[in-house]
Amino acid sequence: MGRLFLTPAVVLILVFSIFPLIASLVMAFTRIRFTGGGFKVRYVAWRNFDKQFFGSEQFHLLGTFGPLSILAWVVGLAATLGLFWWLYRYCRTHFTVVGFIGRLITFAMALFLAWLFAATLLSGRQFGTVGTTLFYVVVGCGLQFLIGTALAFACSQHIRGSRAFRVIFFVPMMITPIGVGYIFRMLADTSKGPFANVWQWAGLGDWSWATDPWAARIFITIADSWQWIPFVFIMMLAGFESVSKDLNEAAEIDGAGKWMTFREIIWPQVLPIAATVMLIRVIEAFKIVDLPNIMTAGGPGIATESVSLQSYYAWRSLDLGSASAIAYILLFITVVICVSFFNLVVLARVRAKP
Amino acid sequence: MSKLLKGTLLALSASLAPALASAEEYDGVVVNILTRPGPVIAQRIVERGEEFKEMTGAEIRVAEVPFAELFQKILTDWATGTKSIDVGVFASGWGVELVSGGLVENLDGYIEKDDKLNPDDIALYFREFNQKVEGSTYFITLDGDFQMLYYRTDVLAEAGLEPPRTWEEYLEVAAAIHGKDMNGDGEADYGSCIFKKRNAQSYFAVQSMAASRVQSKGTAEGLYFDTDTMKPKINNAAWKRAFEIYQETGKYGPADELNQDIGDTRGLVISGRCGLAIDWGDIGPLSIEEGSAIKDKIGAVMMPGSAEVLDTETGELVACNAEICPHAIDGVNFAPFAAFGGWTAAVSKASDDNVKAAAYDFLSYMNQAEQSNVDVTMGWTGYNPYRNSQLDSTDAWVKAGFSQESAENYLSAIKDSLNNPNMASDFRIPGAQQYTGVVLDREVARFLAGEVTVDQALANIEEGWEEITEDFGREEQASMYKLSLGITN
Amino acid sequence: MKYGLFEPRKIGEMAPATKVVLYTLLLAWSLFVIFPIYWLVITSFKTPAAVNEGPFFIPWVDFKPSLHAWRDLFVYDLADTMRAYFNSVVIAFSATVLSVFVGSLAAYSLSRIEFAPNLITILYFVLLLIGASVAIGVYGADLWLTLAIVVAMFFLLARAVGRLYSVRLKNGDILFWIISQRILAPIVVVVPIYMMFQSVRLLDTHLALILTYAVVNLPIVVWLMFDFFNSIPRDLEESAQLDGATMIMTFREVVMPLSRTGLAATTLLVMIFSWNEYLFALFISTSKAQTLPILVAAMNAGERGILWWTMSVAIIIMIIPVVALAVVLQKYISKGLLVGAVKG
Repeated sequence: MGRLFLTPAVVLILVFSIFPLIASLVMAFTRIRFTGGGFKVRYVAWRNFDKQFFGSEQFHLLGTFGPLSILAWVVGLAATLGLFWWLYRYCRTHFTVVGFIGRLITFAMALFLAWLFAATLLSGRQFGTVGTTLFYVVVGCGLQFLIGTALAFACSQHIRGSRAFRVIFFVPMMITPIGVGYIFRMLADTSKGPFANVWQWAGLGDWSWATDPWAARIFITIADSWQWIPFVFIMMLAGFESVSKDLNEAAEIDGAGKWMTFREIIWPQVLPIAATVMLIRVIEAFKIVDLPNIMTAGGPGIATESVSLQSYYAWRSLDLGSASAIAYILLFITVVICVSFFNLVVLARVRAKP
Repeated sequence: MSKLLKGTLLALSASLAPALASAEEYDGVVVNILTRPGPVIAQRIVERGEEFKEMTGAEIRVAEVPFAELFQKILTDWATGTKSIDVGVFASGWGVELVSGGLVENLDGYIEKDDKLNPDDIALYFREFNQKVEGSTYFITLDGDFQMLYYRTDVLAEAGLEPPRTWEEYLEVAAAIHGKDMNGDGEADYGSCIFKKRNAQSYFAVQSMAASRVQSKGTAEGLYFDTDTMKPKINNAAWKRAFEIYQETGKYGPADELNQDIGDTRGLVISGRCGLAIDWGDIGPLSIEEGSAIKDKIGAVMMPGSAEVLDTETGELVACNAEICPHAIDGVNFAPFAAFGGWTAAVSKASDDNVKAAAYDFLSYMNQAEQSNVDVTMGWTGYNPYRNSQLDSTDAWVKAGFSQESAENYLSAIKDSLNNPNMASDFRIPGAQQYTGVVLDREVARFLAGEVTVDQALANIEEGWEEITEDFGREEQASMYKLSLGITN
Repeated sequence: MKYGLFEPRKIGEMAPATKVVLYTLLLAWSLFVIFPIYWLVITSFKTPAAVNEGPFFIPWVDFKPSLHAWRDLFVYDLADTMRAYFNSVVIAFSATVLSVFVGSLAAYSLSRIEFAPNLITILYFVLLLIGASVAIGVYGADLWLTLAIVVAMFFLLARAVGRLYSVRLKNGDILFWIISQRILAPIVVVVPIYMMFQSVRLLDTHLALILTYAVVNLPIVVWLMFDFFNSIPRDLEESAQLDGATMIMTFREVVMPLSRTGLAATTLLVMIFSWNEYLFALFISTSKAQTLPILVAAMNAGERGILWWTMSVAIIIMIIPVVALAVVLQKYISKGLLVGAVKG
């Protein structure tokens, strides 16, 4: 009887997720044209993927390649050695076939990303949408996690007005992401935005964040953080509030310092939440599309374009095959990174707990 | 005398009869129109729709989706037979893809029976190129689009400068006036404002700059491909120079020009912060609206030209002479670029017959001189002139708020452009969005951002265009391209 | 002075200096959060000229506030605005209820019953689906006929295939599979979903968007509620079951009342996600079912520029109901979320 409880969820997911997923996998290997009778589908094998990885879109997805710099060799080789050591250590300690295959996939993805990083950015060349997306994920989520956690911890203390702070801090998350994009575009306008005079005064009247790739990426990260710190905040606040007060006070009576108490008593208790929150955020961050689309339309050049946005633009020009292929590449990268994170970090921590 | 009176009465009743008949005919008919949102374009359709309902009984329902999504929405709806849209209002350039898919109603039969449309009044380019595919009319023009050059009459007069005729002169003038205070607020203003944002309109601007260097033998020569082999005419000195000019205008513009779309630069122009700007016809009517700082201070001329044009054999630029540039004016070749082609309407083939008839009658009503000649003088409608009768008399324009002088100036700039036999046609073949909106736009953006050199950018565009042509089929694309330029053999 | 500036007066309290630093940081952050919203609000009262001519900060002092943007949306375009509002409310509310209901059921059964589906049977099913998609997409086979064949093939051979080889999955695997649905970028699935609704003539209806949003948010619900149900003590349920209550009754009478906080918090999250969603709405709705985010995006009038003033109004009227809901549910928010995860 209770088994039936699961059925509606599984059926809904099968119909609305799995079927479309398979359909778009088929689309990734085709060219589609709309005509009077619906659409014409032509099988093109790996052409859509080939174009992204080796063809005319390579610079777009992966970046521009060329000879490696010395720094790139050093970092790339160091990463390779480190990864081999990690795999070797795993094989020596607790080897299982499934675990090994899983780690092999993680290993391959990490190796690929490390060399991609070395060959593009570290060699002084531009990286593509994969690099930009990873920037948003790593820097954005890192920033959101640190600030969100700090705010949550502060609000979990006995302070006056904590209820008001909670509501205020939560508001940005309620705004539709496209709205956030437009708000920040307004704020960042160097000639009519609120900081125009500040720019002039600082002698930056002739400079614009939108023309500098890194400034533009950082600016989008700030807007993204403004919106999603509330999410981390509210989740971590729940975590901090459910920490046992007795233990906490007992530790203080025993003369443990604040930092000591935090590290030894509080942190271990909220760690599982922290891991879950990060996982949710990382999953969502890989899908970032509204903010760069609205704030910079992917510019300057392709500097702020995420993989998701690249797929969106392909779809918008009705290149459905490429759109699906790019989306699948994103899906693959996200799944490998998230599953690795879940298995190797989250589960490991949770299991390690007594 | 009585004979004359009788004749007049007869003519009157004849012209009234169809209107009366259709009042019964279209009772209960609903025409669903999809277009872009906001007061621009859509609002006037709604208002004219209400009038139309009173006359004929047909209900006009206007739905709106964001601009960037408009075309896919119409295409998918019509291709899958969803039938929730009867009329799409969009750029005529996009329409060829719809026509080639067999999704658009051929309007020739309707126009033949229509005695009020007076198609001969529609300016040549729009009538013969913009509304037609393969010699048949599929689209009804609501708005005539091409870019022009705008300049501040007061600022140029003060500096003792003439409005530029070539792009080289444009750069000189922009340099000379850059940094002056043009609206009296004590702040330095800009010599030139040209939108450069990615995924916006920058690919139109660069084509406007390239057109007069690439095309000199009339509209049928085309900007983009060799008409026989479909090889892109992009990787050459003419386009290279256009890219460089586009980049150089940035020196005399706002700091964040790379992130400005047309709305941003238009705001700057209206608030009096730009000495030179390129834009569609909208600036004229907008300049007289409330809050404008440039009323009667803005002049318009045809888009600058070039004294040297592309030699397609060598890919190099050669100086103009009577043989190379038959349409040159004082040695300068002009090619006003019909960027975007204007907002046009198309009727879905899949709709029911009476809906199609009502839809056509409504579009004809919008297009007829009696209605459109009023609509184009109002800035907020977003409609720019496309009929000769709209340009013949300044009366309506003066009534709308122009001074006699600026109305004459504005209309003559439009007339010069519209009647130029060397007007450059926008992309009008299947995949137009991919060629320009994706590949060209992206490479322009990368070049402006300093990610690639101009040579790399042009090589990338060539490669990208070839890929798209292959995907759609070279033969088909070549024949579509010829048709879009009016070459029938 | 008995205490130093940096020493707490009492156990569990803060030193005065820490307090000052803490309040400064919290207030600074509040400013960072509020300023963009303040700018949004004043922009909604600016005329186009006041927006374009440079930064003006304080109404009446450096610009004259105007209601024209509000009038645009609430007088001239009242019908459109209200229709979008009504659609958004109906869709977000129904999708949330459906999603929370179905998700809670699934989460509850996952937290109480051991499932052990066979991976091989599932793979067999997926292979059948891939075959069907290729047949339909590339070879143009009839949609319904192919689906019927797939279902028949599956039920005929599922047992046989299952006996061939058996790899049992655990509840954790099912949970992760459901959660992993959230990884899908909407862009991957939106085109097939469009075609699916088209084939059953559901495009541009409320139902289509409700179903889509419910599924998109299902993973979040299952995830949060699974943790939550795990944290609820089982003694009560067991005694109820000893009294002869069925699982449904236990769920309704015992578990649900205990889960109010978790449900409230999850509801709020799902509501926010469905209320703000843009991409699916863009695809699935044309006119009748258009939602508020489309209205916001519509204020970018292409070559006419962005109508900052009316866009600000649209964003503001979108925030208000969510803030109201959040204030109502406020006492649950911080308590409810992920209480389970801490103890589990």
